[in-house]
Amino acid sequence: MTECTSEHCITCGDDGVPMRVLRIDAERGLALCVDDDGNKSTVEIALVEPVALGDSVLVHAGVALVTLEQAVGA
Amino acid sequence: MKFVDEFRDADLGRVVATEILGAVEPGRHYKIMEVCGGHTHSIYKYGIDDLLPANVELVHGPGCPVCVIPMGRLDDGIAIARNPEVIFTCFGDMMRVPGSEGSLLEAKAEGADIRMVYSPLDALRIAKQNPDREVVFFAIGFETTAPSTALTLKRAKAEGVPNFSCVCNHVTIVPPLRALLDSPDLRLDGFVGPGHVSTVVGARPFQFIPADYGKPIVIAGFEPLDILQAIRMILAQLAERRCEVENQYTRVVPFEGNRRALEVMAEVFELRPHFEWRGLGFISQSGLRLSNAYADFDAELRFSAPGVRVADPKACQCGEVLKGVIKPWECKVFGTACTPERPIGTCMVSSEGACAAYYNFGRFAREREVV
Repeated sequence: MTECTSEHCITCGDDGVPMRVLRIDAERGLALCVDDDGNKSTVEIALVEPVALGDSVLVHAGVALVTLEQAVGA
Repeated sequence: MKFVDEFRDADLGRVVATEILGAVEPGRHYKIMEVCGGHTHSIYKYGIDDLLPANVELVHGPGCPVCVIPMGRLDDGIAIARNPEVIFTCFGDMMRVPGSEGSLLEAKAEGADIRMVYSPLDALRIAKQNPDREVVFFAIGFETTAPSTALTLKRAKAEGVPNFSCVCNHVTIVPPLRALLDSPDLRLDGFVGPGHVSTVVGARPFQFIPADYGKPIVIAGFEPLDILQAIRMILAQLAERRCEVENQYTRVVPFEGNRRALEVMAEVFELRPHFEWRGLGFISQSGLRLSNAYADFDAELRFSAPGVRVADPKACQCGEVLKGVIKPWECKVFGTACTPERPIGTCMVSSEGACAAYYNFGRFAREREVV
């Protein structure tokens, strides 16, 4: 856990981070994801399953809320 | 960066700003509220208000969860955190919010075990690593964050983590918008709707704004071009005498929202009859608490807390800022007694708070105007 020092607190505001799925643990409903800066984190994917490797998801407070490609044109 | 760079294109921004200029009627004053604190932050960070005609005024809304939490709720959290057996966890921005007798950060300095987390899942992990301690998560946020808390509680229940509990301060976005629209203080022409809240709730809950109040709302993303385009879409609706819910943020927000997120929230939470909002007072059915099925994880039932209402400091005008009645710089203590380093009010604490955003980015532009 790192200190929240960024100018834009990722957990507090209505903020979401686009991340790419690297690895999926379907049994536990978790995925290892990476953002564009190379930061990796474990993300809950229960709300967007099924996801595939390489999908982009919007992550807020450790949870993927939407698969980005799905939302386009919706 | 995909989904980001193309929405920060300065040339395109100037094109949209020119379109906005062409869409306004001279002599008419437009008041548009950006509901979400993330939008407020972007508006000041990128100087979006400088690109708008003088008769288009942006009014900052109540959509920063840290800013709207009343002092009494924070005092309750600090009281729980001071229990020696408790590891108290919360998001970073909560740490510096002043309670009536200091902040969580000060309580931590005095010895309370208070830890910052990025996700409630981190708090659950701490609980599993410390089975001999009580781990409490101080949950705040709108519908964007509530699913994360709900999923964590489901996981805690499924995995049987008895030493985990939650102080639930989650709030919902529609009741305060209705309260603002019913307020005689404001005459708003339209709304820039919340982007990521809408990934969960979808666009449908906002239909009361055009239907009952005859105002347009455009759900928008957080990059500068997103916000400019949303303003242009609102002005187009007004020029064409239309009012409807439009979605500028289609690359992220599905019209129907996320059904699974709504289901998990409905399972884990229930509406409180009333919840207090800083500056807005008590609003019916605007806050969430844990449902009976999850009562075992309710920290408010597990621990004793004062549970009293605490009035805001007299000098603080966060309430009027949150209602859009005054601008941050019109507050008596803005930038003098109240700064991000030593905040008096919540709007100066969170980076999404209107006062902090304006203090960090906007005041220099205003100083130029004054000179």
